[in-house]
Amino acid sequence: MGSSLQAVVGLLVGTGRPGRSALEEEVTAFYDAFRGPLLRYLASMRIAPADGEEIVQEVFLALFRHLRDGKSRANLRGWLFRVAHNLALKNRHAKVRHAVVEASGESVDPGMNPEQLAVGNQRQARLLAVLRALPEQDQYCLSLRAEGFRYREIAEILGISLGSVANALERSLSRLSRAGGEA
Amino acid sequence: MRTRLSGADSHLSDADLIRLADGELGSGSARSVLGHLEACWQCRARLRELEGAISEFVRLREEAFAPAIPAAGARAMLRARLSEEARTTTPGRFHISIPALATGLLVLVAMLVTFGGTVNADGPKPRLSITPGETRPVSLAEVCASSADSAADPIPESVRLQVFAAYGMDPAQADAYEVDYLITPELGGAYTVRNLWPQPYSARWNARVKDRLEHRLHQLVCSGQLDLHAAQRDISTDWIGAYRKYVGPGI
Ligand SMILES: [Zn+2]
Repeated sequence: MGSSLQAVVGLLVGTGRPGRSALEEEVTAFYDAFRGPLLRYLASMRIAPADGEEIVQEVFLALFRHLRDGKSRANLRGWLFRVAHNLALKNRHAKVRHAVVEASGESVDPGMNPEQLAVGNQRQARLLAVLRALPEQDQYCLSLRAEGFRYREIAEILGISLGSVANALERSLSRLSRAGGEA
Repeated sequence: MRTRLSGADSHLSDADLIRLADGELGSGSARSVLGHLEACWQCRARLRELEGAISEFVRLREEAFAPAIPAAGARAMLRARLSEEARTTTPGRFHISIPALATGLLVLVAMLVTFGGTVNADGPKPRLSITPGETRPVSLAEVCASSADSAADPIPESVRLQVFAAYGMDPAQADAYEVDYLITPELGGAYTVRNLWPQPYSARWNARVKDRLEHRLHQLVCSGQLDLHAAQRDISTDWIGAYRKYVGPGI
């Protein structure tokens, strides 16, 4: 009897969970595995590093709630990227609105442009310029493909059709290959 | 030998080449595209260009988008936030409100009723009339082909709710309980409600402890030291007793 009384008292005063739950450990393991790839993807979406880190935190808090509520465990990797993608869009949207207010109407590129500094040589700088001139959807498709996702998974993450994924990859690789050829 | 009849029009598109390289063509199309590639140097050269663009993109990405910040601080922050999330979503944390008190009393009464005869100092046990434990037809080879801690599919919310209902518990308290298989699927347990019971996280003999027993039983069964049916019987009739017998006297 003693411990069931304890359990009820636990429910009342909130000591119902001892230490860390298995779920917290599981989510941390996911974090360890996917923080890097998610940050890289967010950087490719031109999210500033500090914002990227914060978005990743939100992604894994969302994962915790998702699993706690017993929701689907199918393709969790795709799920993580989809949530990160949507949070990044939200973040950029807020940033642009903020920037527009600050600069009183002047249009400001929200991610301008930490990565340009990191790129070593001219050829890569030119490729980066070509990449940045692509429609954003095409850039997302390329980055997700580079993360190893199949076309169907990319379509699910971005909420677009399979055909759009194939077209985006064709368009962007055609252009990148022409840019490379001009070297 | 393949002959091209109509000039440049019959060459492969970039889309076909990329899909081929990505393994995204159906087997029929893949065969005809490969057939064309064998015969056509231009298309092979184009494929190589596209692959070149892929390698350049991959390299660019590694240089331009590498995460620079060390992970330790961010990781600690996430751990703290997860704990916070786990705490704040447990009902009634830090506040003993009247409704919470009333709910608590109801749960206490429900537990007295449901666990009545079977509660002891070690915590509630599964009720035989609700959770006798069920097995599925499975061979020893199948049991031993899967590892002891290969993850079972998550238990659907609807099934969890059925289990809480069977035990007369308020689903609002579900967060404090883990719905667990009595006979673990790794030992041939069935995926049925009659093999599931709610286990409080707060119990000393909790699901983590039971995992150790399950691991040990799997070992014993698969090394031929224990009969599978004996393992199933012992874990379903008194798993704490089984723990003391197969793992050790204390936790
Ligand atoms: Zn050709």
